[in-house]
Amino acid sequence: MLSYILRRVLLLIPMALVISFLVYLGLELTPGDPVSYMIPPDMYGSMDPERLQALRESLGLGQPFIVRYGIWLWGVLHGNFGYSMSGGVPIINIVGDRLPATLELSGIALVLSTLIGCVLGTISALRRGSATDNSLTVVGMLGVSIPEFFFGLVAILIFALNLQWLPVGGRTLPGYVTFWDRLPHLVMPALVLSVTMTAGVMRYARSSMLDSLNKEFIRTARSKGLPEWRVNLLHGFRVALTPVIVLIGFRLPVLIGGSVVIEQVFQWPGIGNEFVAAVRSQDYPLVMMIALLSVVAVLLASLIVDVLTALIDPRVRLGR
Amino acid sequence: MTDITTQRRRTRLDRQFDQIRAREEAGLNSHAKGSRFVRKFLNNKLAVFGLIVFTVIVLASVLAPFLTPWDPQKINLRAILKPPSWEHWLGTDKTGRDVFARVLYGGQISILVGLGSAVASAIIGVVIGCYTAYVGGWLDTIAMRVSEIFMSFPQIILVLLLVAITGQSLANLMIIFILTGWGGIYRLARARMLSLREEEYVQALRSFGLSTPLIAFKHILPNALGPIMVNVTLSTAAFILQEAGLSFLGLGVPMGIPTWGNILNVAQDLRVLQNNWWMWLPVGTVISLFVLSVNFIGDGLRDATDPTQQG
Amino acid sequence: MAQNHDVALTVSGLKTFMYTNKRCNKAVNGVSFQIKKGKTLCIVGESGCGKSVTASAVMQLLPTLSRIEEGEIIYHSDRGDIRIDQLARNGRQMRAIRGAEMAMIFQDPMTALNPVYTVGFQIIENLKYHTALKGRQLKDKAIDLLRSMGIPLPERRVDEFPHRYSGGMRQRAMIAMAMACNPKILIADEPTTALDVTIQAQIFELMDRLKKEHGTAIMLITHDMGAVAELADDVAVMYMGNIVEAGTVDEVLRNPVHPYTRALLASIPVLGRGKNQDIHAIPGSTPDPFDRPSGCQFAPRCAFATEACNVMPDETHVTDTHRVMCWRYEEFAHAAAAQ
Repeated sequence: MLSYILRRVLLLIPMALVISFLVYLGLELTPGDPVSYMIPPDMYGSMDPERLQALRESLGLGQPFIVRYGIWLWGVLHGNFGYSMSGGVPIINIVGDRLPATLELSGIALVLSTLIGCVLGTISALRRGSATDNSLTVVGMLGVSIPEFFFGLVAILIFALNLQWLPVGGRTLPGYVTFWDRLPHLVMPALVLSVTMTAGVMRYARSSMLDSLNKEFIRTARSKGLPEWRVNLLHGFRVALTPVIVLIGFRLPVLIGGSVVIEQVFQWPGIGNEFVAAVRSQDYPLVMMIALLSVVAVLLASLIVDVLTALIDPRVRLGR
Repeated sequence: MTDITTQRRRTRLDRQFDQIRAREEAGLNSHAKGSRFVRKFLNNKLAVFGLIVFTVIVLASVLAPFLTPWDPQKINLRAILKPPSWEHWLGTDKTGRDVFARVLYGGQISILVGLGSAVASAIIGVVIGCYTAYVGGWLDTIAMRVSEIFMSFPQIILVLLLVAITGQSLANLMIIFILTGWGGIYRLARARMLSLREEEYVQALRSFGLSTPLIAFKHILPNALGPIMVNVTLSTAAFILQEAGLSFLGLGVPMGIPTWGNILNVAQDLRVLQNNWWMWLPVGTVISLFVLSVNFIGDGLRDATDPTQQG
Repeated sequence: MAQNHDVALTVSGLKTFMYTNKRCNKAVNGVSFQIKKGKTLCIVGESGCGKSVTASAVMQLLPTLSRIEEGEIIYHSDRGDIRIDQLARNGRQMRAIRGAEMAMIFQDPMTALNPVYTVGFQIIENLKYHTALKGRQLKDKAIDLLRSMGIPLPERRVDEFPHRYSGGMRQRAMIAMAMACNPKILIADEPTTALDVTIQAQIFELMDRLKKEHGTAIMLITHDMGAVAELADDVAVMYMGNIVEAGTVDEVLRNPVHPYTRALLASIPVLGRGKNQDIHAIPGSTPDPFDRPSGCQFAPRCAFATEACNVMPDETHVTDTHRVMCWRYEEFAHAAAAQ
């Protein structure tokens, strides 16, 4: 088991390096003086050209490309993400401020969509061909077809503006202390963000369950006289789970991407929101860093998913 | 199956079985005529519904000049924010432009972006997938790694990244979509190619001296057509949704060109959201309907090309 | 038909139809036989003749899109006769019988065992639901079972996953699982088709031993005449949903009277006769199940078919135990006796 994890981690590192290389390439190619985002802007503004030139050299900017990349990478690994061009704030601060909000939103959406999707998909499969199955299928189709932000807009209109049950946006207000205080703000964005993922998980869980129920070992389980619930859940669902988890792993980038738009709609102070602002103002250092972080997040998440799969399915551990 | 009683009751399945048995014994179940594929597709009510809705929307967009007298770009400051009326079927927006006309003309661009990017990325993915998988070696490895890199990014982040670098334009957006989207079909085509490459009939073709590209495209490709078509429909749906999202943020197609997403941009303003429903609700519904119909068609295609379908 | 206290299971007039793809396939179209205690009944036939469907029907394990149309399946238990065909497929009564009093082993043990659970877990499942054993006793019993089936180092094997077992061991494990509660009837659906020949012999030996030790009634489904010769006490030959000939193994193998049985036996190459021996393959192929001949199903391929064969032959008795469905069986009975 441990060797499996180590193997997967070792496979990740080259990928992360290549992508960081591409990101740095992008940074170099975009317009702007590299020094300007490697030091605080007020410092940059106040320096005269000779000192700037000396600074460039000390930062290794005169060196060959590969060395510059190395220095930059070293800095990144130590938390030096550079400075945002608009505002001059160290990027690591921005990330530190905003990441928790996005993680909270995406995390809850992920858990919700996995649970609800699996339950509904299993019910659909067990009642194949019935009215329940058909209506769930259509609902699932709607879920993947309606743009998430449109869903969010309609939700805001109904629940925030007309019924006034929930706040219109934002994450927190002064005076909030506990998580439960903030909960009303979390409800709509989390639910809306999870819609597409839930629909996807539900459809996939259904087909995976149907596949699993067709297998020989289901007949064997029945031949032992086991009750239906045990056959369906412990044998059917358990084996159907593995592909579903793999699918969720594949769809994680979509979830992270979805938060970009949803955070805009609900004015949620997360990384996605920040990313859009950075693109609009062409703040390349910030754009690049967030992109890099999102890739790292995806790689990490897929690692976790792989480990989970190996835990629940013994065949995976042997590389079958 | 539910645990009823020890005596067997007649269930819904029983009735269906009785029907089928009666038909069989009367000889009515003989082999149907016509292509199995077409028959299966037409049997799927949702797929047919999808096809109809899809055609209606596409035709409406293409025939936009005939369906509305209004110019989608024409500003009319004397008719701002008017609700729907006989003159303006869906009312007007902040600068007096007719919303219905904008939806119709906007459809042209949105569908072009969605469908065009999907088809183009499918062609590129298939070409690269088939050829590199067939040839194998370092070419295949490089292609795989490159596609993996693209797929490690959340797509919208990659798209926005490239938009930030290259700037906003319709052509740029389509190119970016194709760049970020070819990976899916590539993997599909590659998997198919790998599984078929070792089949005996391919070995025979090779021994006849047929060239590599000929074998790859003419003989192996038709086998993979089913899943590829399904994937194209799914990609179309995905691209349309993505364009809508990006333009809604103002970072997709430039605001000067009407697209469905651009029109939705105004809904970011809460007052518009609450008071001027005609400016965003119809557009959102049209997008949803269109994507829904494409998804139905995709599902229908998948079922119709699946050889293992059960009763 | 033998007396009831000898018989474990009686099947009469069983018809089972399959309803996939909105077609009706009469897979089993009127089949009758008995499984006797402590004896082996072999059901032989080509692929698609309906033997596996018969086995599934007896255990009420048919796929969703099929049902028992007509007929009786009577299980002669200690508590009296139970009409299995009348029980709900997954109702409490049927489930109490399945696993405890009737058990089944399947063709491919790799797919028949759940890959994500250990072998021990899957055996214990059976014990948990049909016996009063608890806790450590369950595991001990599972280890016992594995040992009695000839699996070495059972204490270790019990905690391993199926993919760590070899093919023959997996089948033994499956037999262990089926025999866990000492069922009265064991149904084996082509248990050795997926295994090497040498392993086949071992499995058959194992099944024979079980029969003698526990008095289990065994229904063995196979297409291998060699296995029939070795193991069977009684034989039933099936073709396209009907039993065309049935009797004791001596009667059927030595005096086959149905043209199909005779052709089957003649088509087996004999070890030792060399590569130039005549191999008489049966001409033609099995008919499309949806486009069957009227009357006797074998008629299109039969060298002795006549006009009369357009009507399904009645079942006639050659002897008390030997029955056949053929209009012309008497001619063959004399020919066989003459040999």
